[in-house]
Amino acid sequence: MTRKPSRRRWFGEQQRFALMLIVPAAAILTFFQLIPIIMGTSASFRDWMLYNPKKTWVGLAQYEKVLTDPAFLTVVMPNTFLFMFFSVVISLVIGLALAVAMNRVFRGQKFVQTVLLLPLMVAPVIAAIMMRWIFNDQFGIVNVVLDAVGIGGLPWLVQRWTAFSVIVLTDIWLWAPWFTLLLLAGLQSLPREPFEAAQIDGTTRWRVFRYLTLPMLRPVIIVCIVIRAIDAFRTFDTVWALTGGGPARQTELFSLYAYEEAFVFLDFAKGTAAAMIGAVIILVAGLLLYRVLGHVREGS
Amino acid sequence: MNKVQHSIFAAFTPGARRLPFIVGMSITCFLFAFPVLWLILTSVRPESDIYYVYKGTNFTLDNFRQVLDNPRVTLAFFNSAVVATVATFFSILVTVSSGYMLSRLKGPIARTWFGTIYALRCVPFVTWVLPLYFVEQQYGLYDTYTGLFLAHVAVHICFFSWLMKGFFDGIDPAMEHAALIDGCTRWGAFLRVALPSAIPAISALSVLSWLFSWNEFLFALILSGQHTPLTTVVMAQFVSEMGMQWNLMAATAVLALVPAFLLTLFGQKYVLRGLKI
Repeated sequence: MTRKPSRRRWFGEQQRFALMLIVPAAAILTFFQLIPIIMGTSASFRDWMLYNPKKTWVGLAQYEKVLTDPAFLTVVMPNTFLFMFFSVVISLVIGLALAVAMNRVFRGQKFVQTVLLLPLMVAPVIAAIMMRWIFNDQFGIVNVVLDAVGIGGLPWLVQRWTAFSVIVLTDIWLWAPWFTLLLLAGLQSLPREPFEAAQIDGTTRWRVFRYLTLPMLRPVIIVCIVIRAIDAFRTFDTVWALTGGGPARQTELFSLYAYEEAFVFLDFAKGTAAAMIGAVIILVAGLLLYRVLGHVREGS
Repeated sequence: MNKVQHSIFAAFTPGARRLPFIVGMSITCFLFAFPVLWLILTSVRPESDIYYVYKGTNFTLDNFRQVLDNPRVTLAFFNSAVVATVATFFSILVTVSSGYMLSRLKGPIARTWFGTIYALRCVPFVTWVLPLYFVEQQYGLYDTYTGLFLAHVAVHICFFSWLMKGFFDGIDPAMEHAALIDGCTRWGAFLRVALPSAIPAISALSVLSWLFSWNEFLFALILSGQHTPLTTVVMAQFVSEMGMQWNLMAATAVLALVPAFLLTLFGQKYVLRGLKI
């Protein structure tokens, strides 16, 4: 890091000011994020069972354990990426549709807006517990309704793909409104003139949306996708509360896998090794997305 | 003004015809409100009727009395409020200056700092919260307020610095330059000129920060023990370790929702204004 103050007087003063502004934040990040990451990295190279912390160096053995764990390769990673993809894409589509619908004056708008803010106030873990209750196979309202109309209920949370769908659905419920709010803010800051011109030309609504709204909104959309994708990758609360990774660890996502290995199966080193692998994947993805973002920012 | 906006956007919003719009909006509202309504309904049903929430007409406030009589629940509410409030205060304190620096100062320090917080924001929580458990035990911070709220501040720093930078980017630095020319120090320009104009952003981030800490679960699960139970964890325990007490879980959840709802209601306009990226 370039923390050394320069010899040049004027520069030095500015640099000192810059450093002073970030010192408190940097200190907290160092003690609460950097040091744990360093310690976690070190732990991932050791033999560290929570009931017997020998802490002997074992090289890459833990990484090998994780990467040859069939559950990690065939269940956890596919689940994580499928979850990320479906959650982000569907939330984006719903969020965008709602943002466009909200971007006009109508009666009851305040009310709709408040309803859409609800998922942002509810703790993800409560939302997930609530969904678990709603989709309960015996007493859940969804099955009661399905039975009543004669379709017949499903044992939602005890089959892999239905349980996975409920997890995705919960995440969409939680985050689609977040997309709506950000995109609505974006829509409202768009210039008025192109829309007026299109109106005078008699363009259809769909073409206006496709060729005006969407391209002008692109930078905001991309920022939203980047933020959400990174957050979706590390989803924990929802899965923990809904299925606990079950049935038979079939719906585990990456964060829950690392947590379970460390604190349920007490293999702290394997858990941290899994967590490190996830961190590397998302860092690479994050840097790529950052590049894309840079291009978009320059382009607009 | 509203009229003009109405005519332009009404004509250009796909599906702006009246009836389908109203029906669509009603369904949307219903779907988004349903889990919360169901939670509230569950919380006022007596334990005997809990498995048939949808039928029967017995309603009771007994669940609320029961959870409020439980010292662990009230302690959890108190703890969550303290942690959320203190975390918000410190988050804002450190991210205002950090965001200001990212916006106003160029050069290697700013670039390094921006790269650092971007990378640290990408790192999944689980990667650092697992070892943080041991680190906090070494610092003697495990299961204390300090250990919890500083971890929350660490979560906020990266994202909020980024948002703050965005806000300051939107504020013309000409006023600060004028202040500097008039003999103000850099700190004076920051504290007396830039800071007051950032108050809307600060309000928005305060609301978001408080909601995040109030609702946070993973850190609470790992970093808190007997002394500092937090609401989310206590609530989740109603439907796992202590058996399936859906009514008590729902009552606790509804109580937890009240401050979040009030805060959002009052902070709504700041958040909406502040969410522009």
